[in-house]
Amino acid sequence: MGNWLAAGAALVAVVVVPPLLTPGGDSGATGQLRGLRVLVPNAPGGGYDITARTAAKAMEDADLLRNAEVFNLPGAGGTVGLGRTVAERGNGKLIMSMGLGVVGSVYTNKAPSSLLDTTPVAKLIEEPDIVVVGAESPYRTLAELVAAWKADPGAVPVGGGSSPGGPDHLAPMLMAKAVGIEPRTVNYIPFDGGGELLASVLGGKVAFGVSGIGEYRDQIEAGTLRVLAVTSADRIPGVDAPTLGESGVDVKFSNWRGIVAPPGISDVDRDRLVGLFTTLHKTAQWQEAVRRNGWTDAFAPGEEFGTFLEEENTRVATVLKDLGLA
Amino acid sequence: MGGFATALTPTHLALAALGVLLGTAIGVLPGIGPAMAVALLLPVTYGLEPTGAFIMFAGIYYGGMFGGSTTSILLNTPGESAAVVAAIDGNPMARKGRGAQALAAAAIGHFVGGIIGTTALVLLAPTVAKYAVDIGAPDFFAIMVLAFIAVTSVLGASRVRGFASLLIGLTIGLVGLDEMTGQQRLTFGSLHLADGIDVVIVAVALFAVGESLWVAAHLRRNVAAPIPVGRPWLGRADLKRAWKPWLRGPFIGFPFGAIPAGGAEIPTFLSYVTEKRLSKAHRDEFGKGAIEGVAGPEATASASAAGTLVSMLTLGLPTTAVAAVMLAAFQQYGIQPGPLLFQRESSLVWGLIASLFIGLTLLLVLNLPLAPLWAKLLRIPRPYLYAGILFFASVGAYAVNADVFDLLVMFVIGVLGFVMRRYGLPVLPAIIGVILGPAAEQQMRRALQLSDGDLVGLVNTPFSIVVYAVVAVLLFFPLIRKLVRPEKPSSPEEERVEV
Amino acid sequence: MNAWLKERSELGVSAVLVVLGVLVLTDALRIHTDFAQRGPVGPKAVPILVGSLLLVVAVLLARDVLRGGRGEAEGGEDVDLAAPADWRTVLLLCGAFLANAALIGVVGFPLSGAVLFWGAAYALGSRDLVRDPLIAAGLSVATFLVFNNLLGVPLPGGPLMGVL
Repeated sequence: MGNWLAAGAALVAVVVVPPLLTPGGDSGATGQLRGLRVLVPNAPGGGYDITARTAAKAMEDADLLRNAEVFNLPGAGGTVGLGRTVAERGNGKLIMSMGLGVVGSVYTNKAPSSLLDTTPVAKLIEEPDIVVVGAESPYRTLAELVAAWKADPGAVPVGGGSSPGGPDHLAPMLMAKAVGIEPRTVNYIPFDGGGELLASVLGGKVAFGVSGIGEYRDQIEAGTLRVLAVTSADRIPGVDAPTLGESGVDVKFSNWRGIVAPPGISDVDRDRLVGLFTTLHKTAQWQEAVRRNGWTDAFAPGEEFGTFLEEENTRVATVLKDLGLA
Repeated sequence: MGGFATALTPTHLALAALGVLLGTAIGVLPGIGPAMAVALLLPVTYGLEPTGAFIMFAGIYYGGMFGGSTTSILLNTPGESAAVVAAIDGNPMARKGRGAQALAAAAIGHFVGGIIGTTALVLLAPTVAKYAVDIGAPDFFAIMVLAFIAVTSVLGASRVRGFASLLIGLTIGLVGLDEMTGQQRLTFGSLHLADGIDVVIVAVALFAVGESLWVAAHLRRNVAAPIPVGRPWLGRADLKRAWKPWLRGPFIGFPFGAIPAGGAEIPTFLSYVTEKRLSKAHRDEFGKGAIEGVAGPEATASASAAGTLVSMLTLGLPTTAVAAVMLAAFQQYGIQPGPLLFQRESSLVWGLIASLFIGLTLLLVLNLPLAPLWAKLLRIPRPYLYAGILFFASVGAYAVNADVFDLLVMFVIGVLGFVMRRYGLPVLPAIIGVILGPAAEQQMRRALQLSDGDLVGLVNTPFSIVVYAVVAVLLFFPLIRKLVRPEKPSSPEEERVEV
Repeated sequence: MNAWLKERSELGVSAVLVVLGVLVLTDALRIHTDFAQRGPVGPKAVPILVGSLLLVVAVLLARDVLRGGRGEAEGGEDVDLAAPADWRTVLLLCGAFLANAALIGVVGFPLSGAVLFWGAAYALGSRDLVRDPLIAAGLSVATFLVFNNLLGVPLPGGPLMGVL
């Protein structure tokens, strides 16, 4: 008898206690959105993670929502998280933080789900790449670099902070194409993030590096790095360097990050999410966070982001097909 | 010294202590390494001013590392990659009732390694940072070659079985997208395998799951006595054996931590091999519970963590996952680490460095008395002990990605560990293969790409030439010795090499 | 013949190494290298090396076994090598581990984790039918609460999540 009692008590405990002690659900009927879950498809500390956590915190500070849960599901350049998001069809309380890197990963990983399957919510920010060399590099302008690069692409190794298909890989490939270098001849060396690349640029191991400006600001200010160009359409405040266009390389390229939701969610849910981020964009907390992280505000809600996503998808696919990666 | 004034205020001391406790508590949880611990506790520090927040981080960081070693020693389930090596001798020690000594050796190792590493950080940071960026792919590859040579000393009694194990590890290391070209290797089209198999999963599977299955097959039924806890403190004999490894470890760990992509896995392994080579009297104990095998690698891991801070603070360069999370935290406060940090935020930096010393001291003070208590954990009956090990191994594998696939990977590798135990294939070379293989391949190919395919690219730096010279000496020294004194009976080492 | 094979069951390890080697080699030869490769060493080289070495070591190991070499089964504090292998315990333990993997998504971690712990303890000879399930449930629920509620590392809570 005691046996069955114990087993029964154990069963009741494991099934009933956890839900009772876990807050959440739609209990409050206030205007705040509750129980929103934010999926981050890369590891803690990565770009999507910082964007997601910063946005969640700004929303909570501005009283837009409560109990937002940010969780990481890293893997295969974000495509594991993408797969989960696409599988959660109709779930109006899940969003995923993502960016340009995921677009390329879908191709290099031959992932079954595409970003075009998701419901676009908003593009939030952009982060232009910079073309950077060490202070002791022989190249003083982009024109000098391009001349040497065209003469012998193999002898001018390019370092980037992302694996093939990622933003730092796409930028030099687009540049090469624009100046008439066959992309397949580009000697691209992937590093494990902008940090590891930084050491190789400082030590003169690679001829030049292409990476997001984030980790490099202090070095640029200290004069140990020289920025030859920024890849965005406009110059970046505080960085004394021309755009690629000004230097005669017709490429406009920015890494960007945004938010998507699972496919097939109701119009009410979609409008509520788009509205949430539109409101977030206007808050002082978000604007301050964007400034502090050195991001460029590039807000584009719903449909507008969807169109942009399709264009980016086509552009990435074209480059990767040229390289035989897609 | 101003740093200590900053760090020694009662509030900051309390934050450091809280950080150490939280870090240790979370570090012992399965699947949560120091990087995850710091990331998870980031929100806790939101309300604090920057100095207080970073002082707490320092505590969490060291606490998390020590927590990872604790489970490594007691349950054979390393919480993070730097603690993998500690399981090799730490767990056998614990099984013999010397768990408290193993934990004490680890705690003091962490303290000594951290103190020496942090001192080096204070004295050498700018110099080290300057040279660290000169270390490139050819140099890394040379170090990997050296490490592969060192593997031969852990192949065990049978060389061919040791090599088989190493190759199994290298094969596991191949799984995933090729980092240089983005090509799939051994993924069989599965996205879950695209990032490769995490070395911690492999280690927990081979060590803990494999061991549990093996024990199940040959469970000693007649003995019901729980594992003895033994004397709680390090005896004179232990101290005599451990003090040299404690002091040697930092000299291996700190430089590795300071160079980009150095990490803690390779130096902890090199420290282990070094201690094994240098130990004359106790070499046979290695793998069966040699205190040197815990003391050296743990001091190395801690010093490597201090080294990591060099490149992060002076270059803004995160070389490990923890450093990346801390860098992100710095940026949350609008602080950009880099060459100007020491001038701009001097009080914060010195406060942080002072708090590293304080955090280490607190770690030792808090954890040394706890060591015997932790070790008592092993007194629980065998069925519960192994059930608990499997339970925590599963939680750890699942919690990271919330994916059943990881549990299946762990099971398959666990069965492999079982078979390896049955047929005398040592487990350690497989782990080394998983760690070294991918790193060596990547650095070699990177070096060749930098030189645009010219083989000279592998040996075109002074550092790599020096390392290869050391490799040559190591390879040919036994040969020369034999030639010079052919009549000498073979040394114990050579006997053990026989197949 | 049977006894001969039983004595030399380690040849099975050789067979596994051969299979692994062939697998690595065929996978490597499948990789396209006509693009994206720079320099003499591409994504194929190391797998081909590892695969070939696996085959070589498989042969060497087989030779060693046929010449009478035997891998020494690993001893340990809890291991009694004199006793014959107890496959029932091993299979029960595997069952407990796989049950957790199969159930976790369906019934949630608290229940599947408890099944794992109780099942493993039962397999290893614990027969206290009052204490075992209660310990298993307590450990599982406590772990769930620490991870899910305290640390924000999500674990599946079970079918009643959000209902109660």
